[in-house]
Amino acid sequence: MLLAAGLLGCTGRVEQAGDAWLNRSQQDPALSGDGRLLAMISELRGRPTVLLRNENGSIQPVPQLRRHQPHSSPSLSWNGRYLALITQRGQRRLAIVLDRLNGRLHPLPLPGGRDPIRLSLAPDARKLALQVADQGQWRVEVLDLSEMLEPDRAAGAALTTPAIEESP
Amino acid sequence: MRHLLALMVLPFAIQGCAGPRPKPIPELNGLLRQSVSGRREPVLSQRWLVSLSQRGGRERVELIDLNSRRPVPLPGLNRADALPISVSLSADGERLAVVQQREERTELVLYRRSVGTLQRVPLEPPGVPRAVSLNGNGRRLAVQVSRGGRWDIDLIRLP
Repeated sequence: MLLAAGLLGCTGRVEQAGDAWLNRSQQDPALSGDGRLLAMISELRGRPTVLLRNENGSIQPVPQLRRHQPHSSPSLSWNGRYLALITQRGQRRLAIVLDRLNGRLHPLPLPGGRDPIRLSLAPDARKLALQVADQGQWRVEVLDLSEMLEPDRAAGAALTTPAIEESP
Repeated sequence: MRHLLALMVLPFAIQGCAGPRPKPIPELNGLLRQSVSGRREPVLSQRWLVSLSQRGGRERVELIDLNSRRPVPLPGLNRADALPISVSLSADGERLAVVQQREERTELVLYRRSVGTLQRVPLEPPGVPRAVSLNGNGRRLAVQVSRGGRWDIDLIRLP
């Protein structure tokens, strides 16, 4: 009953079509939590490479990630400080997190030498979910990054630790 | 004495090189292996994990509350004649965007959990959706669409 009532036209509005802002194939979209930044995979010189698109429509490459293609499965934190994705290192695939604030790369090798297939970074960058192959099946594993990365929270979001009170 | 000093410093030097490492969450990862024969396409928000889980040879959208570590019901979403391809969710877990195959066509739908409604999101110009991403408040959506043999990404504002 719910479905019969629900399968109606949604009044969503297309803000910007792809070919208006980038005249090449684009795949694997990932919005930041605040919606201001879009990560995607596009072919650069024939190699699938991650690009970022700002709210104003400008496209920017990610200088720290000019190598180690093919790139896949990008994921952004709330304000876009962190970009997680899968890169290629020799014969292996490697998940990495780029801190765009300081340009630092955090490689995330998986125990047992397994290859990541897809990933998703939590908006606050405290956790990362990975899809891996395990005994012929797809599995999802979650990693705790809280000791590795500073959080990237929405403005005004509640903190998990109490604020320091000012002395009177 | 010099050797003793070197032995004392070495463990700290090694730890300093390695830095903090990502830590698996065994209890949660054990739960994610239970009662499914496969799980893929994970998407995390603060409190929620959504993925496509395979049970009894059928794939369905499954939403897990990371606080209670339990799946939550999604009435009206996993229809018997629908095959999910890609899924995303808002930060509060209220909105899920799904690309699914149904009746031999591929469609983009928006599911609102609190009211259990499923709405088709039209693509203009028409195309075949493949992968979807929602932003935190669930009001912006990016979708990969096939048009004329090429992949585009559309940005859609939702009411």
